[in-house]
Amino acid sequence: MNVFLAILWKDLLVEWRSRDRVVAMLVFSLLVVVVFHFSLPGGATAQTRATAPGLLWIAYVFAALLGLGRSFSAELENEALSGIALVPVDRGWVFLGKGAANLLVLGVVQAVTACVFALVFEVDLTPVAGRLAGVVALGSLGLCSIGTLFAAVAVRTRFREVMLPLLLLPLLVPVLLGSVRATSALLADGTAPFAAIQLLIVTDAVYLILSFLGFEYVLEE
Amino acid sequence: MSEPAIAARRLEKRFGHATALTGVDLEVPAGSSLAVLGPNGAGKSTLLRLMAGLGRPSGGSLSICGEPAHDRAARARVGFVGHATFLYAALTARENVLFAARLHRVPHAAARVEERLAQEGLEGVAHLAAGALSRGMAQRLAVARGLVHDPEIVLLDEPFAGLDRRAAQRLAGRLADLRHEGRTAVLATHDVGLAAQVADVAIVLAAGRIAHEVRAPQRDVAALERAYAAAAEASP
Repeated sequence: MNVFLAILWKDLLVEWRSRDRVVAMLVFSLLVVVVFHFSLPGGATAQTRATAPGLLWIAYVFAALLGLGRSFSAELENEALSGIALVPVDRGWVFLGKGAANLLVLGVVQAVTACVFALVFEVDLTPVAGRLAGVVALGSLGLCSIGTLFAAVAVRTRFREVMLPLLLLPLLVPVLLGSVRATSALLADGTAPFAAIQLLIVTDAVYLILSFLGFEYVLEE
Repeated sequence: MSEPAIAARRLEKRFGHATALTGVDLEVPAGSSLAVLGPNGAGKSTLLRLMAGLGRPSGGSLSICGEPAHDRAARARVGFVGHATFLYAALTARENVLFAARLHRVPHAAARVEERLAQEGLEGVAHLAAGALSRGMAQRLAVARGLVHDPEIVLLDEPFAGLDRRAAQRLAGRLADLRHEGRTAVLATHDVGLAAQVADVAIVLAAGRIAHEVRAPQRDVAALERAYAAAAEASP
């Protein structure tokens, strides 16, 4: 089993045993949905349809920020992060393992949030469910790749809870731009614009490569 | 002449404006053991962490069997047991060692893990969460974790901290085993008696520099005691 799978196995096992991260992320994202439900007019109005993609991605980003921070704060106990940094391979594989675990945990939260969102805002997502899942996966890949890198940077700083959003949010602009545009178009006419998908693919590729290469130095003291 | 297992030349490490190590020159031949003594803040942990490849020198060089210590080839040769255990409280003792074995791509990892747990006398608690283990057991588990890949070079950073007498004796026995197995060992400790007992060479660090070097310290424990006391006296 390679380092990527070892890290993925460990992260998912620790999460399965404690479930604290996924529960916190779910509560947080559902709270965002409920708060927006009370602040917007009820029913499937034009205003709801227009704002729905933005609301959904706000919930996803907030949940991701919470989950990314916690994925590394668990590594501070007993200095486990130093134990991982001793791997005799490129530390980019550690990044891939942790990024994949973050992506899977976020995926569970996103799926539940989308179902509750559809019920609360009376938006029928079933006709576009497959395509929407594809767009969400592309957006989340960019979010989790650069997010995992910066969570590893922030966890060793004094104000890590504040540092992660400060570092990450400006870099999420292209990811959110592509994701919200693609989601809006999907909910409006059932197709995602190629330009938005292209933006997501290019951003994902750039963030994946940068994070893979940068992780070698991020884990050093 | 064969290459030393560990070689430092004018080694320096700075953290911002603070200098943790400066002008450190040392050579540790393969199969020998080095004790690193010094008061708190002398640079012992920094030196061992650099040897483990957890950081890069700010100046000079540090090599493991000829490779820069931060290279992955060098990291493969080193086993590090720090004063933190590197354990995950939510994983069982067995899972913790298995995780380390997988990180180091140990062949037949499951069998090796059982072997290491048995060596440390932890078979009976292998199914327990690491968070439920006593300090002594957790430290033995950390040793099993750190040595699961059979490293040529073993780095031990104050492994006796917090151990009771029985656990300390057991760990001292394990250190003697490592020596008999012909592994290169570096031990950072405050315990002058132990350093004299297990090391071929002992160095005393003070303010990031090697203040004294004592060869065959078991023959002259008093000299080592004096060197340590002088370093402690001089430290801020």
